[in-house]
Amino acid sequence: MTNINHESGKFHVTGEAIYIDDMQMPDRLLHGFVYVSPHAHAKIKSFDLEAAKSVKGVHAVLSFKDIPGHNQMGPVIQDEPVLAENEVQCVGQAMFLIAAENQEVADEAKKNIKVEYELLEPNLSIQDAIAKNSLLQPERKIENGDINKGFKQSAHIISGEFESGGQEHWYLETQICLAVPGEGKELKAYSSTQHPSETQAIIAEVLGIGKNDVEVECRRMGGAFGGKETQANHLAAWASLLATKTGRPVKLRLSRDEDQKITGKRHPYLYKYKVGFDAEGKILAADIQHYANGGYATDLTMAILERGMLHAENSYFIPNIRIVAKPMKTNLPSNVAFRGFGAPQGIFCIENIIDIIARCLNKDSAEIQYRNFYGIKENNTAPYGAKVENNRLYVLFEKLMKSSSYKSRRKEVNIFNKKNEFSKKGLAMTPVKFGISFTTAFLNQAGALVNIYSDGTILVNHGGTEMGQGLYTKIRKIAAAEFGVDIKSIKVNATNTSKVPNTSATAASSGTDLNGMAVKNAIEKLKARLIEFAAEQLSNIYGKIVKKNTIVFENDYVFDKKNPELKISFEELISKAYINQISLSATGFYRTPDIYFDRAAGKGNPFHYYAFGMAVSEVLVDILTGGVQVLRSDILHDVGESIIPNIDIGQIEGAFVQGMGWVTAEEMKYDKNGNLLNHSPDTYKIPSIQDIPQDFRVELLKGYPNPNTIRKSKAVGEPPFVLGLSVWFAIKDAIAAIKENKIEPNLKLPATNENILLAVSELSV
Amino acid sequence: MMNNPNHVSFVLDGKTVNLNFADSKYKPTTTLLQYLRDLPGHKSVKEGCAEGDCGACTVVMGELKNDKIQYRAYDSCLIFLPAVHGKQIITAENLGNSENLHPVQQAMHDYDGSQCGFCTPGFVMSIFALYKQEEKPDKEEITNALSGNLCRCTGYRPIIEAAESSIKNRHEDHFCKCEDIIASLLKKINTKDTIEIITEKQKYFIPFTKKEALSLRKQFPNALLIAGSTDIALRVTKRHEFLPEIIDLSHIRELDCFNINKDKAFIGSNYSLEDLRNSSKSVFPALNNILNIFGSRQIRNRACLGGNIGSASPIGDSIPVLMAYDAEVVLESVETKRTIKLREFITGYRQTQCKPSEIITEIIVPIPKSDILIKSYKVSKRKDLDISTVSACFSLKLNENKVEDIAIFYGGMSAFTKRAVKTEEILKGKTWNRKNIEIAMKYITEDYKPISDARAGFKVREIMAANLLMKFWVETNQVYKH
Repeated sequence: MTNINHESGKFHVTGEAIYIDDMQMPDRLLHGFVYVSPHAHAKIKSFDLEAAKSVKGVHAVLSFKDIPGHNQMGPVIQDEPVLAENEVQCVGQAMFLIAAENQEVADEAKKNIKVEYELLEPNLSIQDAIAKNSLLQPERKIENGDINKGFKQSAHIISGEFESGGQEHWYLETQICLAVPGEGKELKAYSSTQHPSETQAIIAEVLGIGKNDVEVECRRMGGAFGGKETQANHLAAWASLLATKTGRPVKLRLSRDEDQKITGKRHPYLYKYKVGFDAEGKILAADIQHYANGGYATDLTMAILERGMLHAENSYFIPNIRIVAKPMKTNLPSNVAFRGFGAPQGIFCIENIIDIIARCLNKDSAEIQYRNFYGIKENNTAPYGAKVENNRLYVLFEKLMKSSSYKSRRKEVNIFNKKNEFSKKGLAMTPVKFGISFTTAFLNQAGALVNIYSDGTILVNHGGTEMGQGLYTKIRKIAAAEFGVDIKSIKVNATNTSKVPNTSATAASSGTDLNGMAVKNAIEKLKARLIEFAAEQLSNIYGKIVKKNTIVFENDYVFDKKNPELKISFEELISKAYINQISLSATGFYRTPDIYFDRAAGKGNPFHYYAFGMAVSEVLVDILTGGVQVLRSDILHDVGESIIPNIDIGQIEGAFVQGMGWVTAEEMKYDKNGNLLNHSPDTYKIPSIQDIPQDFRVELLKGYPNPNTIRKSKAVGEPPFVLGLSVWFAIKDAIAAIKENKIEPNLKLPATNENILLAVSELSV
Repeated sequence: MMNNPNHVSFVLDGKTVNLNFADSKYKPTTTLLQYLRDLPGHKSVKEGCAEGDCGACTVVMGELKNDKIQYRAYDSCLIFLPAVHGKQIITAENLGNSENLHPVQQAMHDYDGSQCGFCTPGFVMSIFALYKQEEKPDKEEITNALSGNLCRCTGYRPIIEAAESSIKNRHEDHFCKCEDIIASLLKKINTKDTIEIITEKQKYFIPFTKKEALSLRKQFPNALLIAGSTDIALRVTKRHEFLPEIIDLSHIRELDCFNINKDKAFIGSNYSLEDLRNSSKSVFPALNNILNIFGSRQIRNRACLGGNIGSASPIGDSIPVLMAYDAEVVLESVETKRTIKLREFITGYRQTQCKPSEIITEIIVPIPKSDILIKSYKVSKRKDLDISTVSACFSLKLNENKVEDIAIFYGGMSAFTKRAVKTEEILKGKTWNRKNIEIAMKYITEDYKPISDARAGFKVREIMAANLLMKFWVETNQVYKH
């Protein structure tokens, strides 16, 4: 497999790549603005927009009363209004929309909006919500074996609770949509969206028009990470309302501060657990409760919760297990999809439990992890009843332990820690087993439309979106390989709902798996037509009989495999096919086979396959300042047969560093009224260039092709995010060294310097 | 002779642009970012945060220094448009196009330096500035120069490799070939006569001499003084404030200087923090230590020492250090000139002794005697491009391992940088050992009552401050053992 650079690379580096804000804007453009709630929870007693409407340069000020269709943008559950009606449920909830000629005018209009509120008590934390039994939806449960029996067999039982924090997506390009009204009710939206079909659906519902009057297009996003899976719909709905009301194009782009205040984050979690294990650390029973902070609306919380539960055991066989998950409702912006989609939280919980067990037994965590890995032939049934097949845990463990010199470095770290009082080193391994497929089974479908033009150039349309992950590059490679043409002949078109309809979100790491297969399916149809025609043509040209089943497409030629000199260039074949009235356009479709999940029973086969990975990280912690340096991280990751290795490595490194951010410096702080305090990058700190591991070694597992997927590859977008946890566990290992690893440190996630110092000071008391 | 009123001139796309604010949609407080994004051919310059924290809007500006063009990277979101007078503005579009990439762009492409691509032009420009600097940077210098650019996709490794590779293989580029032409265009721009931009609602002055600046200061005592505008610009970009009167000191060359004799350094208030970082390396290591992690390269290229002191922020990173060095501030007006100790200059939260008629013109830093040890520390959530949670600087003189004199200054612990008087008292005359340090650590809370904010809680600020004293002791111990 050869490396191929990102298909937009040359446009990125020169600034030629066009993001929505860079487009040539249509005439009479207006700018859209959102007026949001200043209160976490309040009744709206009255409002008056007249003064705002009369500000010069203001073209519209809209409230929920101006919505012609449904005032709803909840993707699954209808509990998220486009604009607040009688109540606001979080700071930052949209109340009114303004179309204005510029920012200054809009600021003036905002000052002139008058609202009377009656303040209500907000729930601002999971604990608040638990106390008031405030849930978004009913709890969910997955159970296997008999935990009571398991606890009875256990030599040790530990119970406790801990938390993990939220995370802001911090895509570089803030949320944006340009809505352009057309003829009649038509509307075209250029949206920075991971899910053009849903964006189209929401616009149609909000405007009360048919989907066939709405066209949504996305060429590329400046990053998304799950943050543009449903939230792009909000911007699109708002911009479309303003465009429809004013009859003019409206661009709505959030400023960075607005984006951080208004949009949802990764779900913070509270975990409660009771675990029983034997003297060697083998887990016999686990009773796990996940409490997710969903914010004020459901959004995708139930699916996120579900993925969290389906990863609650990560890589480990736990014979008796009960996982109960509760979606808590709080007065914060609705939390949303974020790379990993609940799996990082579910995995953090079990990994921390393992780490606690190891400290309890005075053993190395890696030993406990290994002891509990899923078996190859037995002990390989997941709590939800599926078999864990093609288990790569042992091969990864064996190779990574060796390549990272884990054992000898463990000794060196221990020696260093004995010698140094104020700086401590920590070392930790984190494995990931990540289920690939949307757990809502019907979403596992994709479409494509492949056009061959009469000059032999090819335009590929598919339902996936490009957010930087390299999907278009992989699709281009797949199409080139299937057609046997140079990659330069293939262009991947901007994703557009009028080309490929009814698509699923580009999410769940599934972009290439699903769309790659759909593209392949379309190409197979085209090739079937072309093979027949080529056989005819080659027979005519060369006067020899060429059979259909020996025709191959390779190196820009179509030829007889048995007599390669009987050939015609792809370009010429297409030119002739056109003249001979052969259809040169085909749609493709794919649905993942044999997956299902019964939510009520908590059983099924929700995943097409698992992706595996492992990381070892070593850190140096300054015990006096809480400063952390990641000295080295080794990652070995399983992507099956890589379609484009450099792109996969880019995904792994990027996901790891983003995961590292979640567990170290990225922290949400709110005041007592539910205002986010760190709503800009001066106080919200994502990793910078000097935070990455000083020695960063990333390898792909070679020689393990994945059956039944596009080019034997595996999904890669999300699984390596989980590996960032190795940095957190290494930090905890370093802190525990203060008390010779005998006392479990109370380290919060994220391990900010503040939380490190608090954990250290608690140990020192 | 006055400059053409309301006009500023700069070079863009190889041509001199004369911008007339009297007859334009741009205001004097329009940022360079807003201006460039408004043009059809410079969309590479992205807005990621509009506060100098992400670097997506990084541009390079070329400026005449001793007849050569010096290229430096800046956050265009923090620069008011008139400030670019007399400079060459360079964006990614000026480097190359997709058919003909500049070596820096080629390397970013070849090493997979871009994924979503939104931060990429900013990185390209930061690397380009390094590519054009005289000395070849090492890896540490490269990552230091790129710490002002955030990327959320790649994890940075390929970007570092792209920078290393392009710089290692650097050769003459088209900027070398055109340098004489550009230099002659820049020379033609008038940089002698004060620029006055007076629109219906705003006044913006650019004096080129100290004398002119002082006279403007007298005439417009309420005008806001700016130089780098890295702090003031946020009032426009984030708070949407309207700034009616501005005097921009950034073009006064006579205040952009660093002179040193055997006792003292005389630093012009306009001297950039990046230049100071380089000049302070051997003579003021504690200052250099803080400047290495002060803001980012883009910010330090623009921000100046006078500004950091004059804004008197409780988290201004240079202040505790300069107080420990016992620096002095020179204040001038049309009629007067006086020198005050920095330790007395700051009187409250963002308050100083500077009068409405005065301008900080110079900072004088004494070179410490060889028996005085000065060390600086900064604790922040992220090492780079982050504001201090707590910072500290200690100045210590020992006599036979007893504390003869000690000065302790903390930032981030109170409304303005203050001395830890009680902690100092406890240590004076005592043996410099762990027991006494541990006793002194308890006195920090007598000196300071820190607050909780978005960066950290008060409790951990107290722990950090006490621990920094211990850290200082540990490090002095290592120094004296050698």
